[in-house]
Amino acid sequence: MVENNQNPIDKASQQNLDEAVIKAPIKSKEKPVKRFFTSLLEFWAKHQTAISLAFLAIAILFPILFNQQYFLSIGVNVMLYATLSVSLNLITGFMGITSLSHAAFLGIGAYTAAILSTRLGANFPITFLAGAAMAGLFGLLLGLPSLRIKGRFLAIVTLGFGEIARMVELNWMSLTRGPQGISGIPKVSLFGWIMKTPAQKYYVILVILVLVVLAVAAIMNSRVGRAISAIRDDEVAAEAMGINVFGYKLMVFSISAAFAGLAGAFYAHYMSFIDPNAFSFAQSILILSVTIFGGMASIAGSIFGALTLLALPELLRFLIDYRLIIYGFVLVIMMVFQPNGLLGSFNLKHIKQQAMFRKSQERSES
Amino acid sequence: MAEKILWANNVSQHFGGLVAVDQVSMELNKGEIVGIIGPNGAGKTTFFNDITGMYDPTEGQVFYRGKDITGKKPYEVTELGITRTFQNIRLFDRMTVIENVMVGVHSRTKANIVDSLFRLKNHKETEKKAHEKALSVLELTGLADFRYNYATSLPYGSQRKLEIARALAAEPEILLLDEPGAGMNEMETSQLIAFIRELRDLGYTILIIEHDMRVIMNICDRIYVLDHGKLIAQGKPSEIQSNPDVIEAYLGKEH
Ligand SMILES: Nc1ncnc2c1ncn2[C@@H]1O[C@H](COP(=O)(O)OP(=O)(O)OP(=O)(O)O)[C@@H](O)[C@H]1O
Ligand SMILES: [Mg+2]
Repeated sequence: MVENNQNPIDKASQQNLDEAVIKAPIKSKEKPVKRFFTSLLEFWAKHQTAISLAFLAIAILFPILFNQQYFLSIGVNVMLYATLSVSLNLITGFMGITSLSHAAFLGIGAYTAAILSTRLGANFPITFLAGAAMAGLFGLLLGLPSLRIKGRFLAIVTLGFGEIARMVELNWMSLTRGPQGISGIPKVSLFGWIMKTPAQKYYVILVILVLVVLAVAAIMNSRVGRAISAIRDDEVAAEAMGINVFGYKLMVFSISAAFAGLAGAFYAHYMSFIDPNAFSFAQSILILSVTIFGGMASIAGSIFGALTLLALPELLRFLIDYRLIIYGFVLVIMMVFQPNGLLGSFNLKHIKQQAMFRKSQERSES
Repeated sequence: MAEKILWANNVSQHFGGLVAVDQVSMELNKGEIVGIIGPNGAGKTTFFNDITGMYDPTEGQVFYRGKDITGKKPYEVTELGITRTFQNIRLFDRMTVIENVMVGVHSRTKANIVDSLFRLKNHKETEKKAHEKALSVLELTGLADFRYNYATSLPYGSQRKLEIARALAAEPEILLLDEPGAGMNEMETSQLIAFIRELRDLGYTILIIEHDMRVIMNICDRIYVLDHGKLIAQGKPSEIQSNPDVIEAYLGKEH
């Protein structure tokens, strides 16, 4: 009898214990370094908008402070890869589908813009819209037969698509001029105003980056975004909760490709020359590296990833002989200590909600 | 007069040579709690999968309110008003408790990507409804205090409750529960029994798979017994308890 009575009480206290564990503030038993990072993250989470605006202000002021071709070309490169990485993050980080065809969509956007502008004299906004639309269309066409395939098999299909796209670019001479590439692509002109100085080109890609970031953030903070996260975490449960998983994958894959195509259109106008080499498998791997290094499912991560992987090597140029070694070393260290990427292991929105909720609990207790 | 809302007609599910579900027919009336029991591997979960569109039945049909829903996609079945939970908990583990439940509201809201990109009225209405619905369901299940925790940080029993909360958020008419009491301690089981009764009082019709006889015998109006994919008995709890076939096939193995 006594034993029988004891059982439920034990279990009841066990449950209280479980609840206490969840309710306990995260800070209590952490080491000082970790506590420092926790409060840093909370600060960032709370002032996210202000901090983003501060970074934007720095990006806007950069050409004024460093008005040299060399620095500005680094800036353009960083932002181009940040745009590509954010767009890849939508499908790979947020949705969990590894794609190795991002360079192909970049290329499709670039060739579309190059052909339209050199042959038909088109320019902004037509070349940008057409580049994005064409890449989005090819994303749809690739996704239709392949997005029912899972995991690494899908990655291989996307890799294959990337190679096919490059082969077409190399061999469809009448359209792409093959290995010679297309030259003489005009500069971006905004309703007659030609963007010819390095600073002007810099601002064009800055605007594109900001638009893509805002779009991805808006998507992720919505019903569609929740569906995307649910698909990443558990496709079967997502479908059971009323989400048309295949339909969403198709849509998101196509949008992600369209953003890459938009970046491609900029690339064509910026470089004024394109050839198939720029859209190789190695390019896809570089974009994927930026995304993984910066952090899966983190927009800020993609931007920091691009800053680190594209600006840092330039700054290390004085160590030119050891540059690749240092670069490789950084990547290895990173993968060991922060395998989710620089900013991939936390979600600022969740941190903010948790901090605010904890505070409101404390207030109501006192 | 009982109103029949779900009807499975001679449903079979073959996996190669294995007959996991063998010509099973059953029906569910509005407002009932009906149990499905049977030994491990009897085909209970597979039968759920057949109803919810996860599998295409090899034979037979499933009707919901007179409409043939055989071969519909799982998301369509949910839209129609039948939602399930999973035996092996399937929560969205990188989402918070409240986000998990907000995903459940997906089929009852309609903001599309354009609405959200431009923050149109549809987007705002959807966000408001999703948040309110999720909070009310979390309050009903007693999980509201943990809403910003990650789903997988909850204790096991609460994770099972969260599965039910997420399903409720989809505003189903019929709730399919696959072993909701698995792994729960006695106190949690008692709470679960009370909670399922409360759900019935709220108007949900419930089909429940459960091994815990305390749950089944306490709450079910009727019970179906599966063994090796076949329906071997059906009836009121008292009838099932004394059915010799059931005792041999199911209870016999446990004692
Ligand atoms: N996708 C599948 N492919 C092949 N065999 C399957 C599949 N799903 C289920 N089975 C088999 O079908 C049979 C019934 O399985 P099911 O999961 O429906 O049983 P259950 O009654 O839910 O058992 P439990 O009480 O253990 O959950 C088992 O023999 C199982 O191995
Ligand atoms: Mg089962």
